Amino acid sequence: MDTYLLKKTDLPRWVELIQKSNDVFAPSRVQGEVFFSPISFPPDLDLLTGTATLPYLPPKDFVFPQAEELFSFSQQGEEVKLEVPKISGRGTVLLGIRSCDITGIGWMDKFYQENFKDFYYTRRRENLTFISIACNQPVKNCFCVCCEGGPFLDPEHDEFDIQLVDLKENYLVESKSEKGKKLIALAPELFLKSAPSVKEIRDQLEEKSRQSFLTEPTSYMSFAIRRITENSVPPEVWTELGERCFDDGGCTFVCPCCSCFGVGYLSEGGKGCHYRFWDSCDYSGFTREVSGHNPRGEKGERFKRRFYHKLSYQYIKRDGRIGCVGCGRCITACPGEVGMPAVVERIRNSKAQRNYQSGKPEESLG
Amino acid sequence: MENIYLPNFARIKNIQTETYDTKTFEVEFVDPTVRETFRFKSGQFLEVSVPGVGESPFGVASNPNRPESFSFTVRAVGSLTRALHKLTVGDTLGVRGPFGNNFPFEEVKGKNILFVAGGIGLCPLRSLIEPMIDARTAFGDFQILYGARTPADMVYKDRLEEWEKMPDIRFVRTVDVGDANWTGNVGVITTIFPKANIVVENTVCFVCGPPIMIRFVILELLGLGFAPENIISTLERYMKCGVGKCGHCAIGQKYVCFDGPVFSYKEMTKLPEKVV
Repeated sequence: MDTYLLKKTDLPRWVELIQKSNDVFAPSRVQGEVFFSPISFPPDLDLLTGTATLPYLPPKDFVFPQAEELFSFSQQGEEVKLEVPKISGRGTVLLGIRSCDITGIGWMDKFYQENFKDFYYTRRRENLTFISIACNQPVKNCFCVCCEGGPFLDPEHDEFDIQLVDLKENYLVESKSEKGKKLIALAPELFLKSAPSVKEIRDQLEEKSRQSFLTEPTSYMSFAIRRITENSVPPEVWTELGERCFDDGGCTFVCPCCSCFGVGYLSEGGKGCHYRFWDSCDYSGFTREVSGHNPRGEKGERFKRRFYHKLSYQYIKRDGRIGCVGCGRCITACPGEVGMPAVVERIRNSKAQRNYQSGKPEESLG
Repeated sequence: MENIYLPNFARIKNIQTETYDTKTFEVEFVDPTVRETFRFKSGQFLEVSVPGVGESPFGVASNPNRPESFSFTVRAVGSLTRALHKLTVGDTLGVRGPFGNNFPFEEVKGKNILFVAGGIGLCPLRSLIEPMIDARTAFGDFQILYGARTPADMVYKDRLEEWEKMPDIRFVRTVDVGDANWTGNVGVITTIFPKANIVVENTVCFVCGPPIMIRFVILELLGLGFAPENIISTLERYMKCGVGKCGHCAIGQKYVCFDGPVFSYKEMTKLPEKVV
């Protein structure tokens, strides 16, 4: 890994150079709410500090858009022609993304590129480079520290390109991947040698950040993982949590690790398209079959499903980590106050109960 | 990079009307390369689409030993299936796949085979019955029990008559409700179990049909002494992508489209949700 110092006042110059061959997005204020938007000049530097800034929506739509055309079709004589939409060949750079959101994209990378490479996901992902900012100071709903989602991104992380650490006047710049090195090579004169002592300051900042998380919403994830894996959460707890769910799908849309999609079909005058769009396991229609039969018609069952996917050991084994990065967006989005930490806490306060029909779960914790 | 979401077009060679609401489509790929290289295994399914209307999974209903053209059976219940029913011979439709795991074949050689099918549950089983008939001597006792609501609800009627005449197949059928011409068994499928002389020892049973039928058949089979791992069925779930990504068909950590649709009863009991 290479480390440098970058003067904060030099950041806009660097961004301008990056923009020549890339579209640069950064957290920006849009009518009072923060979103990843095309970077403005001068950039909102106060959103690019060590204090955690989490746009309302995670950056997953850069790789998995809320709606995306799979192909269009047109009737040409006897034949039907299919066409896959092209995407821009320019790179996309996310500046000011936080460790939790990169961890979320890492989760998506694994999921959408296991067994086969998802065409639509992979072509967007290949164009994407991160310039993340380590969080010296978590904010109200942050609990990444419970989910290995932050507050600093471990340079061993596969998705690590460039990480900035806020040192007041300067950023400490950590660069690892080839993609990251290319961005630094655009303006090598801006990247100053960092003294070895800076490493110590960086580690102190990380430790201080870890210690400044609030007791709520930080959560005993391991406890919930065990209970869900064993299927020993009493069914009435799922029913009770399900009753607090508004079926709005908000938690799934703001979750950096929610990857489910539906497919829609449009047709008019022999032309049209098939497209995929974010879907939600919160919705009762998610599993409803054409016969009307619905294996997860009960809210509690859907709730159980969502958390089984996020926290069971069976999925941890499959996906390499839990399906939560601790960004806290579900806390913000949920009108029923059953975001991840509240659910984990409710499970912790419940008595274990064995629920299997017969035999033991396929994968035990051992 | 391969795009698994793009269908290939297949042309309809033949349409067989099975019942008042069910048709079987025999199709072959338009692209000669795809047609010649296409292979599938018993129990796998296809994602069949009509551009702009929809796409749904259908189990292949034909013999995998003859992959150059293949068939699937469609009951008209929703917008896609109704659109498929409007197609005629020579029309094209989109096909992706084959997807999913498959029924054991080599693994069950030397064993007795029992099929229990209800209604259009016979369709995916047919993709296994036919190659087993091709290799009939590789298996022991071979019995098919088939039940439908009424005689009119039976699929593959011509083929059923042939099975009935084959000397080395024990084929029994029943209907829930008969009609004026029906002289055979009347009663739900489990009512023919006592008189069917089912061989339990060294037998693998394949069960497909509506969920309620599967539940009662499995109870009956367990009562007869079948081990859970020797009862093999398929699960059905609403699904979109067919390749384990859209999330709709997930049960526990299994994706019905990718890890299934074939599961033994033993595997089903280990899922964290009740499925049968």
